[in-house]
This record gives sequence, structure tokens and C-alpha cells, in this order.
Amino acid sequence: MRHKLILAVMACMAASGARAGTWDGVYTDAQAQRGGVLFQQQCGRCHGANLAGTFETPPLMGRFKPYWSGATLDTLFDYVATAMPLDHPGSLSRAANADILAFLLKANDFPAGTKELSASSEDLKAIRFDAVRPPPETAPKSKRKK
Amino acid sequence: MDRRYLLKNSLALGGLVGLGGCATHPPSPPPKAVSSIPIEDRVPHLAPIRAHTDRLFDIKVCIRPFRTKGPNLDVEQIGDAMVVHNYGHGGSGWSLSWGSANMAVQKAMSASPKQIAVIGCGIIGLTSALTAQRAGAQVTIYTRELLPRTRSVRANGSWTPDSRISLASEAPSNFGATWEEMARMSWKTLRSYLGLPGNPVTFTDHYRLSDQPFGQPTPRDPAIPPLPPPSWTGLPEKSSDFGEYADRIADLTPKPQILTEDNNPFPVKYASRSTQMFFNFTEYGQLLMSNFYAAGGKIVIRDFHSPNELADLPEKVIINCPGFAARDWWKDKAMVPVRGQTGWLIPQPEVNYAMTYRNVQILSKSDGIMVIALEDGDMKGYNNSDESVRRAESERAVRVIEELFSRFPTNPA
Repeated sequence: MRHKLILAVMACMAASGARAGTWDGVYTDAQAQRGGVLFQQQCGRCHGANLAGTFETPPLMGRFKPYWSGATLDTLFDYVATAMPLDHPGSLSRAANADILAFLLKANDFPAGTKELSASSEDLKAIRFDAVRPPPETAPKSKRKK
Repeated sequence: MDRRYLLKNSLALGGLVGLGGCATHPPSPPPKAVSSIPIEDRVPHLAPIRAHTDRLFDIKVCIRPFRTKGPNLDVEQIGDAMVVHNYGHGGSGWSLSWGSANMAVQKAMSASPKQIAVIGCGIIGLTSALTAQRAGAQVTIYTRELLPRTRSVRANGSWTPDSRISLASEAPSNFGATWEEMARMSWKTLRSYLGLPGNPVTFTDHYRLSDQPFGQPTPRDPAIPPLPPPSWTGLPEKSSDFGEYADRIADLTPKPQILTEDNNPFPVKYASRSTQMFFNFTEYGQLLMSNFYAAGGKIVIRDFHSPNELADLPEKVIINCPGFAARDWWKDKAMVPVRGQTGWLIPQPEVNYAMTYRNVQILSKSDGIMVIALEDGDMKGYNNSDESVRRAESERAVRVIEELFSRFPTNPA
């Protein structure tokens, strides 16, 4: 039964293409810094300089994490790239959106790494947004069963 | 005709003026003209509006979920789930909600589900949920926002069933009939919310004032910035490019009455009176939420990112009411944002009327006196998704009304 469950989980991961998670250091500090500048220019007017949102505009912290948990980053990237900024949707380059996404990850306490977040949909699809750090034993266990 | 008599007596200019008049002057003789006006048609005493910019205590901006083809009520399959769409009601959501919900629920119930999921908790989602409950389903609403914070509550909230509901050239040929069915069903359903404590749904008189004879356009204030050039190609180019269907239900509401000079309490040359149904957001919203919970409804706070996620819900029949979010979530290219802004003056319960003058509309509600700038008609805000507040726009509108009331005589010495 347990074996079947793990196989099912692995199948889901394979189907979604997710091989890494937001806790695996998927952006760099320098990229987040660039994204922070862009955020203040392009996003802060509505979402607030501190990402807290307003009565009308959703926050990009707090509930932001559970809202996006389980999605892969290409979905989040696609949403930001096509729907935002609300008054000029789709006006930012892919590189700029990747930087902003890196800033959002940092602002939500996901750790930085050594490789920049890619703007490629294929690469982003391989990264899962996990609101909570997955228990460390999950991956090794899967490997053992494999 | 004694103009001052009318001003003082038809428009109650506050207690002090009235009392002062009684105490220091002999009673004025009844004006002859009044006797020619049937008693039921005389304009009653109207309280003045304290229209001052420092009383603007809230400004709300919304994006109307306009859909060029008219609302989407299509059915589609996502995995093993049947999704019935119910979005894209432009500036007519509050008005058409019950009728649209009825259509959506009929489609949903054709699959005989015990459970139904509703996506979204704006006015379309809530009425869909309640209608599904009344059809016998157990309903869960999945939403990222609850009613007080949804875009619905940033709307006008009046009976405006054909306000930016379609582009005439884009709507299906049978849309007029569909619209009429929706509007009539809504009207009948809204009857059951009249007369309740707090007046969730109610009527008011609406005075339309003009410096020009009716039928002539109201001049545009040259101080108002012109509309930016269109950021789209093709239609709409003008207000009349939007679908207009109100004639189909003209039998539901009384005709406007032209107020003769001796029955016009306002210091403007031309005035008419019509009747306006409107919604008090707080009372109506809370009532609908209470009704939903009382019927066993459940709310799940959740954001969806792609249509495929709907297939994972336990409910296999889903009524989809995302409003403007459909543009990005469902990649619906027929969705166009139409910006709207309402200013809110501190409530004055004694003011029980609506008014339109010089392209500014006023509507007194339980939670404030709404002030809207109407210049440029239906073209205003088209394809504009900027939800930031423009205070100057609301202040300018307030000043129009402030100036109107400044024309009344001040308290006699």
C-alpha cells in the first residue's frame, strides 16, 4: 500500500516535471536584489513597498504562500508575466519577470542559491512552489524505494 | 410663482432654516401652481447633501468584468468535471446576478449532482451558490476573497441591467432574448429582498437635473482631462457601440416624469424624476452570506492558477464565477477591463434620493453617499485596468454637487 502511494507520488512529480522546490535555492541574492528594484518601480504602487497589499490589492506575503503552494513556478511566472502590472499587463520582459519572481521568493523567506532563476518556462516548470519546507526524509525514502 | 417658497418648502434646507422661517415670517400663502400638481406627484421635502470634499471618506476603484460577447454561460469539461461558466457581466452583475445564476444552475443540475462547487464569492458567485442550494445541491464556494473584499463591492450597486453588458457587434444574435430572460428572473427574485430590515434592496427617487432641455447632451467640463486615445483597434468607438437592451423590459419600471417649474425644487432649469432600485452592499451581502451558511454552505479559501486544477476538486459539477480573473485564468480574450471609480461621502440617512447633474451621479446608500463622474459615457474606463485611486476625479464630482447646493438661499438673518 505504502509502496503504491510512493509510486503514485513519484508519478505525479514526473507528470508535473517538478524536480526541485522553492526551498532548494533556485535564485541568487543578486537576482533578488535586481528584482527588488523592479518590484518597487512596477509593483509596489499597488502591492505596497512591503508587499503587504491593501484592502483591495492582495498581499504578496503571508497568504501568498499557501495560495501558490503546489503550483510549479512556470504557472506563477506566466500569471505575473501576462496579468501584471495590472494597468499594463504583459509589459515587462521575461528576464525582468524572473528577477521579480526571485525577489518574491526571497521576500517570502525561501533560501537563495548559486544559480539564477531562469526565465524559461521549461526550467520553471521543474520547480515546485512549496509553502512549507518538505520533510528531508521524503526524497531519500523515495529513492530507497526506487 | 414664488421661487423662494419652493426652495424653502420643497427642499428642506435643514431644521434651522425651516424653523427660522416659521418664527419670523407669516406663513406664505399656498402657491397657486402647486394646486395644479396632483398631490401624489409633488416632490416631497428633500434633505440637502453635505457635499464637501473633506467628507469623502472612501474612494473605491473596480474593474468591471466586461465581455465583448456578453456573459459566458458555456459549459466545458475539465478532466472529469463539468464546468458551467458564469462570468463577464460588465456593469450589470448586481442586476443580472439572479437570472444568470438561474441559467447556470439549470445547466449544472442537468447532471443531477449532489454537490456543486462554485468558484468565486462576488455577487455572481454568491447568487449562483444560493440558487444551487435552492435547487437541492450541497454547495462549497472556493474563493480567494470573501464578499466585502471582492471587486463586486467596489461597484455602483444599482439596477443597471444593460450597463456595459456587451458590444452590440460582438454579442450573439439571440443575446437580447437571453438578456431579457436574465433581467426578468433577477427582477422577480429581487422582489423577495425588498422591505427587509436594513433595506438590502430598495428603491429611491432619482432626479435628473439639467441646464439644457432634455435630449441635448450635457457639455463636458473642459477641466476634465480628455480620454486617452484608444489602446485597441476597432470597436467600441462610442457609447452607442455597446449593446442596449433596456427597451425589452421597459414595462418593469415607471417612466421618468418631467418636473414642471412649479414642482422643481432644484435651482436648475430642467428636472425629471425616475425611480431607481439599488443594493445596500453591507446589508445585502451579509444577508446572502447568512443565507448561504444557514443552508449548509461551506467556504474554502483557495486560489486557482490553471483550469486543470478544477479537476482535482471533489465536486464534479462546478459553476465558475471568477469575474475579471477569467481574462488571465481562462485566457478569455473577450474579457476587457473597464475601470470604474466611486467616491463615498459620509452617510446621511436623511438623504433618501439619487441625483444626476452635469455628468455627476449621486446615490444615497446606507453606507455612504456614492458620487460618480459619468462624463464620456460607456467609453469611460474602457480597456483600463488601473485600480489606483484618482482622488481628484471624485473631488471634482463632489464640487459639482457642492456648487449646486450653494445656489440655495442661505439661512435668513
